[in-house]
Amino acid sequence: MRTRIAVFLVLCMFVFLGFGLLSLEVIQGRKNRDLSRKNCIRLLPQAGCRGRILDREGNVIIDNKLSYNVTILAQKLSELDNTLASASGILGISVKDLKAAFKKNYISPSVPVTIARNVDVKKAIALEQAKLDTPGIIIQAEPLRNYPYGKLAAHVAGYVGEIDRWRLTKLEDYGYKTKDIVGFGGLEEKYDYYLRQDEGGLSVEVDHQGRIVRVLGFRPPHNGKDVQLTLNLKIQKIVEENLAGKKGAVVVMDPYSGEIIAMASSPGFNPAGFAEKSSSVSGLFNDPSAPLINRAISATYPAGSVFKVIVATAALETKKINPNTTFICQGSTRIGRGEFNCWNTHHEQNLFAAITHSCNIFFYRTGLLAGAQAIHDYAVKLGFSHATGFELPYEASGFIPSPLWRKINKFKSWYDGDTANLSIGQGDVLVTPMQIARMMAVFANGGYLITPYITKEIDGKDISVYQRKAVRVPIKTSTIDYIRKGLRNVVADPSGTGNVLSGLSVAVAGKTGTAQAPPGQPHAWFVGFFPCDQPKYVICVLLDHGGPGYYSCVIAKKIIEEMTKEGSL
Amino acid sequence: MKTPQYFILIIAVIIAVTGILSIYSSTYQKEGKLWQEIYKRQMLWVVMGLGCFLAMSNFNYRRLWDWTYFLYALAVFFLLLVFILGVVRMGAQRWLRFAWFNFQPSEFAKLITVIFLAKYFSKKKADDISLSSTKFGLLRGVVLPFIFVAIPMGLIIEQPDLGSGLIMLLLFISLLYLTNVKLRYIFIFVLIMLLPLPLFWHFLREYQKERLLVFLNPNIDPLGAGYTVIQSKIAIGSGWLWGKGWLSGTQSQLHFLPESHTDFIFATFAEEWGFIGSIALLVLYYLIIRQGFIIAQRTHDHFGRLLAFGISLMLAIQIFVNIAMNLGLAPIVGLPLPLMSYGGSSVLVTFIALGILVNIDKTRAVF
Repeated sequence: MRTRIAVFLVLCMFVFLGFGLLSLEVIQGRKNRDLSRKNCIRLLPQAGCRGRILDREGNVIIDNKLSYNVTILAQKLSELDNTLASASGILGISVKDLKAAFKKNYISPSVPVTIARNVDVKKAIALEQAKLDTPGIIIQAEPLRNYPYGKLAAHVAGYVGEIDRWRLTKLEDYGYKTKDIVGFGGLEEKYDYYLRQDEGGLSVEVDHQGRIVRVLGFRPPHNGKDVQLTLNLKIQKIVEENLAGKKGAVVVMDPYSGEIIAMASSPGFNPAGFAEKSSSVSGLFNDPSAPLINRAISATYPAGSVFKVIVATAALETKKINPNTTFICQGSTRIGRGEFNCWNTHHEQNLFAAITHSCNIFFYRTGLLAGAQAIHDYAVKLGFSHATGFELPYEASGFIPSPLWRKINKFKSWYDGDTANLSIGQGDVLVTPMQIARMMAVFANGGYLITPYITKEIDGKDISVYQRKAVRVPIKTSTIDYIRKGLRNVVADPSGTGNVLSGLSVAVAGKTGTAQAPPGQPHAWFVGFFPCDQPKYVICVLLDHGGPGYYSCVIAKKIIEEMTKEGSL
Repeated sequence: MKTPQYFILIIAVIIAVTGILSIYSSTYQKEGKLWQEIYKRQMLWVVMGLGCFLAMSNFNYRRLWDWTYFLYALAVFFLLLVFILGVVRMGAQRWLRFAWFNFQPSEFAKLITVIFLAKYFSKKKADDISLSSTKFGLLRGVVLPFIFVAIPMGLIIEQPDLGSGLIMLLLFISLLYLTNVKLRYIFIFVLIMLLPLPLFWHFLREYQKERLLVFLNPNIDPLGAGYTVIQSKIAIGSGWLWGKGWLSGTQSQLHFLPESHTDFIFATFAEEWGFIGSIALLVLYYLIIRQGFIIAQRTHDHFGRLLAFGISLMLAIQIFVNIAMNLGLAPIVGLPLPLMSYGGSSVLVTFIALGILVNIDKTRAVF
């Protein structure tokens, strides 16, 4: 009896083992096969280079350089301290910092851990030579964004960095992975899909110490596509040099095609800090002067006197005034219950003189004659109150108020005082420097509203043909001619507000603006085009709380002066 | 009746050859001449084992009866010698160094304990030919034999080799059961063994505690103590139905699986031969053990009967514990898989034990 039970128990033991095998090999077989593959198959990524950013003549604005990262393969943690100690001597980083970096980046024993980034070439070579003292150290070369001109065109280009969670969820389906380097802001973000490299890599079989046994497969990496801009490197440099140290933006544009020749915003930032993951960049996000904002397209300002061009157009087109209509400026006038001032006493002014002198009283009267709705309509026709359709992300649309909007949204009536304010570009008017430049281009090119763009070619393919075509604005040629003459006079007339620009060898036409923005200094505007008869460039200068428009004129003058010297005209 | 002799011999040789193939597969690409020739050494052990098998199968097992006390004394002597002259490997002092090989006395001690117990319990009463053990009281039935078992067992556990020690305890209990000692005595004994278990915890070595904790949850220390179980389970599981094929098991070939040629040879085998191969191996082992039981059941000599049971159970328990620990179903103890694992002592002892088994069946006719 007892023997039978014993024999039966032994049989049970073997059946138990059989079921154990069944569970592990058959039922959990697939999972275990995957785990065993994960054990021994590693993917070694091989990065390609991100596409370069070139100017209109093919000069490099941003390219790539090789950076050296120090990684450590920690198979035996006992050796780690010695390795770190000898590495710290060569790198000049304290052992404590290296250890902290190691802890932070550690994933698993078979994956190399990065302990120092972007190391000097000499140090990298020294480390490579001292390999005997530092077992487990591997120097990995990695392409890194290189900015030969530092801050130049930083706002246009944007910067690169590790992908954030928001972008990752949005872009996962397009092959983006965690830890990918992607563009933020500017072209880097807009054309990231073209600029980004196609990562290649090796799939290798490794043993338990992570040593490569054999190569299973290889896919070569592909470099990203180059993006060629319409920017002119020389002019961009001139513009940025003149804007340096001030707060504001400059746009230089081709009035016929809408090509952006130069675009600058100040204060700027050095995108290299982001590429190298330096700790100094975090301060940029909290800086009250907002250095990361591209003021040329993403910031809105009251238009000030520059807006008078639109009021004049609206009044002429609606035939509320004619070129001979005159108003008398006595320094101030009463509209409704308010007293509205001019900045000077201009006495008798016709439209021509009023543009030249930027007379407020004349435009109050003209605006009241034309009506707020007409001014609003013509402003919209000239491209305000909506984004220009420019390529770069985060473009602001600006705003032009109207009586209807006031009624619907604020439940308030529109008064004559509001019309007066609108007539001189104050009140709720908000515009971007880019919109102002685009508006001026209409007068420069004889009535066409163009869409500004900055990308000429991607990977050698001309993409300017895909840009939106210029649209004829329904404004009579005579109106445009008349206002153009007025704009020329702003500079040419000795009493004109932009007379400071008259000393140049090239004839400039334009309009100044001093947009009140309390508290603090007003914003200084100058927008114009040159040469006057056959315009090649539209220029818009804005100084954020920079004082009267005169200061912008001075900067515009310097820029045009240097452009002439460079032979750009 | 020569059938069981050839039956056992053929199955043992098949298993041993499979073992050599697996040892070759798990070591041939390792660096160093020693590693690459390890399978040749195992071949030598198997050939020597076959010699022992043939010798023992023609050596009347009744002589063991006369030599029991001498063998017992010899085993205890060697176990003591291990403490003085033993070679320390992997933190344990289990081996004695002879001319060109390491000798593991604990393997022999297991077999000798079985012989000793078989003799002890097969003493006949003076008046009657039935076994006296049926009438044994607590003292003579349990306490006295346990003292004799406890001496080598204690020495083995102290080496430390908890696995072999526990195997001896299990063997002792199962032989008590088979020799008709009163059930209640066995229960009392098991209870006494189990009660101080919580206390026993404190006498365990650090690594043994870790192994027990890791058995409960391998993931508490996936790179330390739990590593082996995890890798072993992955190795066996990744074999799937048909296995990855000989010499293609990545877990053992790329050394993710430690001890892949000794205690974890089963995982190496299962990875490369799959579910089908593993089940076939289990069946082969079971056939040998079943043959042992059949021999035991048809032997009328009490000593031979108990010896046959003891040998079969010794093999069965070792096979079970080893494969169960490979599957992660038992805590890891240092225990070879008989006939497959690399190791001279284990191979020789297993072949000697099988030789004795065959001889018991042969000699049966004499009575």
